Amino acid sequence: MPALKPYTGTFGKPELLHLLRRTLFGVHQSDLNYFKGQSLDQVLDYLVPSTPALPSPPRRTYYSNTDPAKDQMEKYNDNGTVVTAVPFGETWVNTPLQTNFLVGSGNNRRANLKNWWTGLQIHQDRTLYEKMLMFYQTILVTQDVTLEDAILMYNTQTLYRKFAFGNYRELVRQITLDPGMLKYLNGDKNTKTAPDENYARELQELFTLGKGKDSQYTEDDVKTAARILTGWTVINTGIVNGKTQNILPQVVFNQSKHDTGTKVFSAFYNNQQINPDASIINDKDRALKELDQLIGMIFQKEEVSKYICRRLWNFFAYYDINDEVESEVIAPLSEVFRTYSNDPDQMKYVMKSLLGSDYFFKQELRGCMIKSPNDFLIGMVRQIGFPFPDSTQLEAQYYMWSYIVNGNANIGFIVNSPPDVAGWPAYYQLPVYHEMWFDTTSFPFRRGLYEAISRSSFALDKTVTYDPANNPSYGYKTKMNFADMVRDFDHPSDPNELINEALQIMLAPPVSDAVKSALKTNFLLNGQSRDYYWTEVWEGYSADPNTTDPRFRNVPSMLQNLFNYLMSSAEYQLC
Amino acid sequence: MKRRNFLQSVPITLGGMSLSAYANSPLLSDLACTLMDTDKVLVIIQLNGGNDGLNTVIPLDQYAVLSQPNIRQNILIPENKVLKLPGTNNALGFHPSLSGIHNLYKENKVAIVQNVGYPQFSYSHFRAADIWVSGADYNEVLNSGWAARYLASEFPNYPSGFPNMSFPDPLAVRVGGTITLGLQNQGVSMGIAINNAKDPLNLSGNLFTDPPTPGCLGKELSYTREVLRQTDKFGDAVQAAGDKGRNLSSLYPVANTPGAILGSQLALVAKLIDGGCKTRIYWLSTGGFDTHSSQVESADHTAGVHSGLLKGVSDAIAAFMDDLTLLGRADRVIGMTFSEFGRRIISNASGGTDHGAAQPVLIFGSNVIPGIYGHNPVIDPLSNVNSNLPMEFDFRSVYATILADWFCVGSADRDNILLNKYQNIGFLKPNNCLMTGVKSNQRYAGAKLIEAYPNPCADQVRIAFESEGGMVIIELLNQEGRLVQTVFNGYLESGHFDIACSMQKIPEGTYYLRIQNSVSEQVRKLIKARL
Repeated sequence: MPALKPYTGTFGKPELLHLLRRTLFGVHQSDLNYFKGQSLDQVLDYLVPSTPALPSPPRRTYYSNTDPAKDQMEKYNDNGTVVTAVPFGETWVNTPLQTNFLVGSGNNRRANLKNWWTGLQIHQDRTLYEKMLMFYQTILVTQDVTLEDAILMYNTQTLYRKFAFGNYRELVRQITLDPGMLKYLNGDKNTKTAPDENYARELQELFTLGKGKDSQYTEDDVKTAARILTGWTVINTGIVNGKTQNILPQVVFNQSKHDTGTKVFSAFYNNQQINPDASIINDKDRALKELDQLIGMIFQKEEVSKYICRRLWNFFAYYDINDEVESEVIAPLSEVFRTYSNDPDQMKYVMKSLLGSDYFFKQELRGCMIKSPNDFLIGMVRQIGFPFPDSTQLEAQYYMWSYIVNGNANIGFIVNSPPDVAGWPAYYQLPVYHEMWFDTTSFPFRRGLYEAISRSSFALDKTVTYDPANNPSYGYKTKMNFADMVRDFDHPSDPNELINEALQIMLAPPVSDAVKSALKTNFLLNGQSRDYYWTEVWEGYSADPNTTDPRFRNVPSMLQNLFNYLMSSAEYQLC
Repeated sequence: MKRRNFLQSVPITLGGMSLSAYANSPLLSDLACTLMDTDKVLVIIQLNGGNDGLNTVIPLDQYAVLSQPNIRQNILIPENKVLKLPGTNNALGFHPSLSGIHNLYKENKVAIVQNVGYPQFSYSHFRAADIWVSGADYNEVLNSGWAARYLASEFPNYPSGFPNMSFPDPLAVRVGGTITLGLQNQGVSMGIAINNAKDPLNLSGNLFTDPPTPGCLGKELSYTREVLRQTDKFGDAVQAAGDKGRNLSSLYPVANTPGAILGSQLALVAKLIDGGCKTRIYWLSTGGFDTHSSQVESADHTAGVHSGLLKGVSDAIAAFMDDLTLLGRADRVIGMTFSEFGRRIISNASGGTDHGAAQPVLIFGSNVIPGIYGHNPVIDPLSNVNSNLPMEFDFRSVYATILADWFCVGSADRDNILLNKYQNIGFLKPNNCLMTGVKSNQRYAGAKLIEAYPNPCADQVRIAFESEGGMVIIELLNQEGRLVQTVFNGYLESGHFDIACSMQKIPEGTYYLRIQNSVSEQVRKLIKARL
């Protein structure tokens, strides 16, 4: 089998742009500037680091009344005294909901978590980290709408984060006993008298082996795996200070519910037997060993490495996995996956190999992915540098993030809420895959979003700001100004260069000189033929952005029209 | 698949003047409505997650077994709450949440096809749904949907040349979701997806005129350009129909009650039909049927998750039918519900059910031949946790019936669309297509089409059966519903036949023998025992 061929061709601006479009949500001018002149290896070292530290957790910005005295959110009554469980601006992730809360806070937490994650994507580091997390959410799925529990969703996401560039087998092992996953796929109800196959099936069908022709586990293997996983459950209540209360979810093992019989798998797994190891005294440790053996047995199959590599290729490169991709990419990349199977940085090596491969830089694969909602919307606000508030205006910050969450929902993506256990169909549904993101339903909404982001003002006024007198977010206002974006370009006063630079940020497919010329004439020259028309108005505007000179003051709206037009193109839907 | 050159944009002239001169005049839309009034509509409602058919269409004659603690006592609907179906001698009834559909049944507007499935089966939601919407065999992957293949056989050049004068509207509309595999044909979407009839679309003249390059970039760029183009073209037609159409029923479920979303989507369909939209197929879906646990409330089995889901579907369909009747459009529309699979016979201790196999399919509309097709399943008291309802009808026979007696597709084209021969179950009035010839009705009589003896048997069994002539398939299915052996598959003249079959390699247990011959089918239990 051939090794995965590394890319050795020229690494110029087109190659850098292709790499960044696939690894970041959108490319901003500052990203291009940062990596300018670096080699592919240097860029990859930066883009694919070891797993970073966890971000600080989500913070409460919701309330039931803008007047702090009347606000009942995250408060409970303790023998006549109203106690605040989670103060405004603090995190709820370590505070279980209680039945004696004055008002329900659970739905607010769930929305808060979505806003927070989306915020982290918008303000992502210049690395693959956030996109990698999205990959995990497309494959190791739990659903917010099913669990209705923000703490469970936060915990599962924390696992993705801990293993972002880590060891995939260990991630699968830990997620098997993740409280959210146990509840989501009925693992917590899986007992020897009432076995539940749900998790055992998806573990093989969706998380590790897939459904390719070489994935030949049987229905009996599903049932047998389910028996190994019997006895685990989740407790959320306990005695605290002498009172029964909700507590943070804990996974416990109940020996009496565990199937202690011999488990024999099919010929696909070489008829392997997994039995409780009588030499282990502790019940839970004995069950954990059975689990380890199960996970180990599944990961012995080469098909696991191939399935994961196909999913990665589908997510980061293109959906069509033909025989050539299978032999030139999937086979050698899966070799990398297996070579590092015991390495704590396994996925780092796999991703560096994929993103540094000759095949990844193939000319014809550049620009042929249809943007997911995240690539479209989060990519858009990052490309244009939409002015989001920082954490000194915490409420405004979450408010703007929630706008993006809601916008994404309109175009088919709700973070933490894949439509079902298989994730989003765009990543698995034959034959059209990611074309499903973009159709006659979603396009009008995508259009509505770029119109709103580039033209609307966003503000928080007194009626919707918590404790307005003391809240720095009160009076917050923002609006996109495309002149601010263009000012960071290398040559904003040259209309030809401006069009070139705008196109490389905004559109992945190449655009002919004829189209560039038409764009310039229509949007920058007001139909005039001389380039200095633009140079003059740009310089006039730059000298005084508050100018009232009728020749210069229209520069922001001229640019807004240009960028809106680029976003209205069929080309803009590709990356 | 064979393609016919048929119904391309035939130029229509009106008094010698090209119709395009009237493109935006009221005259054209009046003309379009006259044309459209003869068009037929199929509404497909997909129940995502795997609906528990045994608690939907309930075989009351099996209660002695079903009510056993080791079968499904913990989720069984009390017998006195089941909505009995007239003419069944109280042997069959609906879940109490299906009162709307029960009323339609009493108005002769519902056909129930029992035990629909396919030989072998998949417990995977996604694979099973693909099988159902594509019409594939269990071990076959098809990149097209059965409905899309039908549309492609009628409109072979689509999307080139569409929309046009004779067909200004989308061929198929997916309401409230993305285009399903069921409406895809060889990578071409045969329908458009909409959420509402108000999609104001105005793209200015396009400067982006570079031809697509070869390879995948060109492929995807052509795709996104096509979406932009179709959004605008079909969007106008849908918006026009939406503006013109009405809703007259007051029965649609209100916001935040079961069926509110499905009801609003069906209301949109009714509005588009009333507004003159010539769209042939509407595809809707509603989810939540994957009820592994707690599908009923333990204190009241008529309440709970599954009850709410069924109520939503039933109320929405009842309102839709009411609306169509008030609008005077009921004769143009039939609908069907299906799920990717039914659920297991034996319930879980947690009050739910695991993924199963065969399921009942409901067909509704004033042009159905009302009644029950097929037989109540016979529940074995010795069922185990893997036991499934044996399949009686192949799901593609449901499609074959719709193609033959609703869309009037001839048998050769039907076989091409469904990639094999499937029986016509006969649940639609044949005069929908003004076809001659009366279909045999004997399949509902008590005739014994197939019999095995001795039964229980040991290593050898004899199978006696009647053929009315034509294709005969005899299959041995196990208790899970999996195909164990094809006993016979071929053409036979009419008459009585008796064949010997070795059971030597078949493990002891309960099996089902299924015969399919022309328009008839029957399933009988066969037990292999150590005698």
